[in-house]
Amino acid sequence: MREIGGAMKNWTARQVALAALAIWALSGVYLVAADQQAVDTLFGRVVSPRVLPGLHYALPWPIQRVTKLKVRQLQRLVVGGDLPDSVLGRSQPALSQFLTGDQNIINMRVVVQYSVSVPADYLFQTQDPAQLVGAAVEAEMARRVTHRGVDAVLTSEKAAIQEEVRAAAQKRLNEYRAGVLLSTVNIESVTPPPEAADAFRDVASARADTARIVSEAEGYANDLIPRARGQAQQMLSESQAYREKKTNEALGDAARFNQIAAEYTKAAQVTGRRLYLETMEQVLPRIRKLIVDKDGNLDLTIIRKANPPAGK
Amino acid sequence: MSERYRKYYPAAGAAIVVILGYLSFFAVRETEFVLVTQFGRPVRTVTEAGLNVKWPFQTALYFDRRLRIYNPRPSEFLTRDKKNIVIENYVLWKIQDPNRFVQAVGDATAAEMRLHDIVWSGLSAALGTHDLDSIVGTEPDKVQASSMLDELTALTDRAALEQYGIDVVDVRMKRLNLPEQNKQSVYARMRAERERIARQYRAEGEEQALSIRADADRQKEELLSLAYKQAEDIRGHGDAESTRIYGQAYSRNPGFYKFLRTLEAYKKVLDENTTAILSSDSELLKVFMKGESAAR
Repeated sequence: MREIGGAMKNWTARQVALAALAIWALSGVYLVAADQQAVDTLFGRVVSPRVLPGLHYALPWPIQRVTKLKVRQLQRLVVGGDLPDSVLGRSQPALSQFLTGDQNIINMRVVVQYSVSVPADYLFQTQDPAQLVGAAVEAEMARRVTHRGVDAVLTSEKAAIQEEVRAAAQKRLNEYRAGVLLSTVNIESVTPPPEAADAFRDVASARADTARIVSEAEGYANDLIPRARGQAQQMLSESQAYREKKTNEALGDAARFNQIAAEYTKAAQVTGRRLYLETMEQVLPRIRKLIVDKDGNLDLTIIRKANPPAGK
Repeated sequence: MSERYRKYYPAAGAAIVVILGYLSFFAVRETEFVLVTQFGRPVRTVTEAGLNVKWPFQTALYFDRRLRIYNPRPSEFLTRDKKNIVIENYVLWKIQDPNRFVQAVGDATAAEMRLHDIVWSGLSAALGTHDLDSIVGTEPDKVQASSMLDELTALTDRAALEQYGIDVVDVRMKRLNLPEQNKQSVYARMRAERERIARQYRAEGEEQALSIRADADRQKEELLSLAYKQAEDIRGHGDAESTRIYGQAYSRNPGFYKFLRTLEAYKKVLDENTTAILSSDSELLKVFMKGESAAR
């Protein structure tokens, strides 16, 4: 201590001034972190609009001034909303209401995410970039919604609206030189007003009912038609079987007849008699017979006695 | 001057230089305009950022040149077709001419009041020449809201610049709504509309289901009747073929066919319930009654 103090005492005023100057000059060294960019101004005028991460030097205060920004950090903003007021425990319905093209009122809550794209513009061109982003997105959203029907906004065109709003709001913000980049515009919720919510739900359930009824009918059709096809096929197969049967039977009968006829013609009289007698042999045993003389008359009472009505 | 103060001369000189330098140089930031005044009278405007020089007796007045956003309270307007609509705007503005601004307006609050008046009267005039469905509507070629606002912006900008030294960059509608007192009837209309749509969905579902069922029934009948037609045709072919075959075979020997077929028929026709009365003179019994000679 004493040695240093002694050394200090030996310094001249000039040396002290030089040391102070050196320290002042060295204070101009600054570090831009990996997620940052910086803007360097000389007496208020921008000299380096975009200083990339790394170690840099600028003339110290009050000559140059360095402002660092976290450019990659996404900033979040809610437009519209029905955000419950946590302090007072109430919501603000008017803030979330949008008017659709067919003059329906809907509640929307849109979340915007953006980051800094041009640091110098972001810092120096607008007083309140966040409010500007919110206003631009809200205006474009209102414009899209007022040109569409409530059904389109609630369902089919939600994604399209988001993308259109993002692109259009970005274009406006570029015109304003806000220096921000919108990364997403997300319609987080879009609902009909509570006063008409049940009617909207009924439409949804009607749609579901329709789908159910239709699929039931399709089930009926899917059951009926294959069965009918099967039945038709069955009818065809049966008729084909009938045709084959008839044809084959006819062929068989004809072949048999031809065979017999061929033999018959060789000995017509004898064969005829034989066939007749054979038939009689088959037929007569199972029937009752009454044999009468050639000229005799028959007393039919015999039949009645032999064949009482009860036995018939 | 006394000799004993001589050694302070350099220090005093330096102090005077510093003070004069402080009074003569001023930095203008990117966010500012500077109006240099001399005894209260504006002499020049500095719009370029950087280091500037003035006389020590002149004063620098700083103005924020950045874009500002002003949100007037939502107000109710009347369209040409006498419909009420509540519109919430935003107005983007910045100081363009500090000299005129400081003389005519003074500060931002006063500027906003003036802008409110210009925008309000401009918008009510513009809406007075537009029907509601050209602001709020689903027919794209009818909607003129954008061009109306472009005109309003241009008009406001012209007036504000001329009178107040203010540049109006943009006027846009942030929110459109219906007046509170109309909302209950709007909700009632929305409900009625939904009920109509729900009924329509249900009826259309019914329609579709019925037509699907009817179509299925029709297809079934068609399949079966077609199959019947083909089946009967095939059967007919079978019958025709067999008839042809029989005809061909039997026509070669019709007498024998008749004889044989008669015999066949006897076998079927004569059964247990048949009582035959046979004459002793019959072919079968001739021999039985009259002996071998009758057989010849």
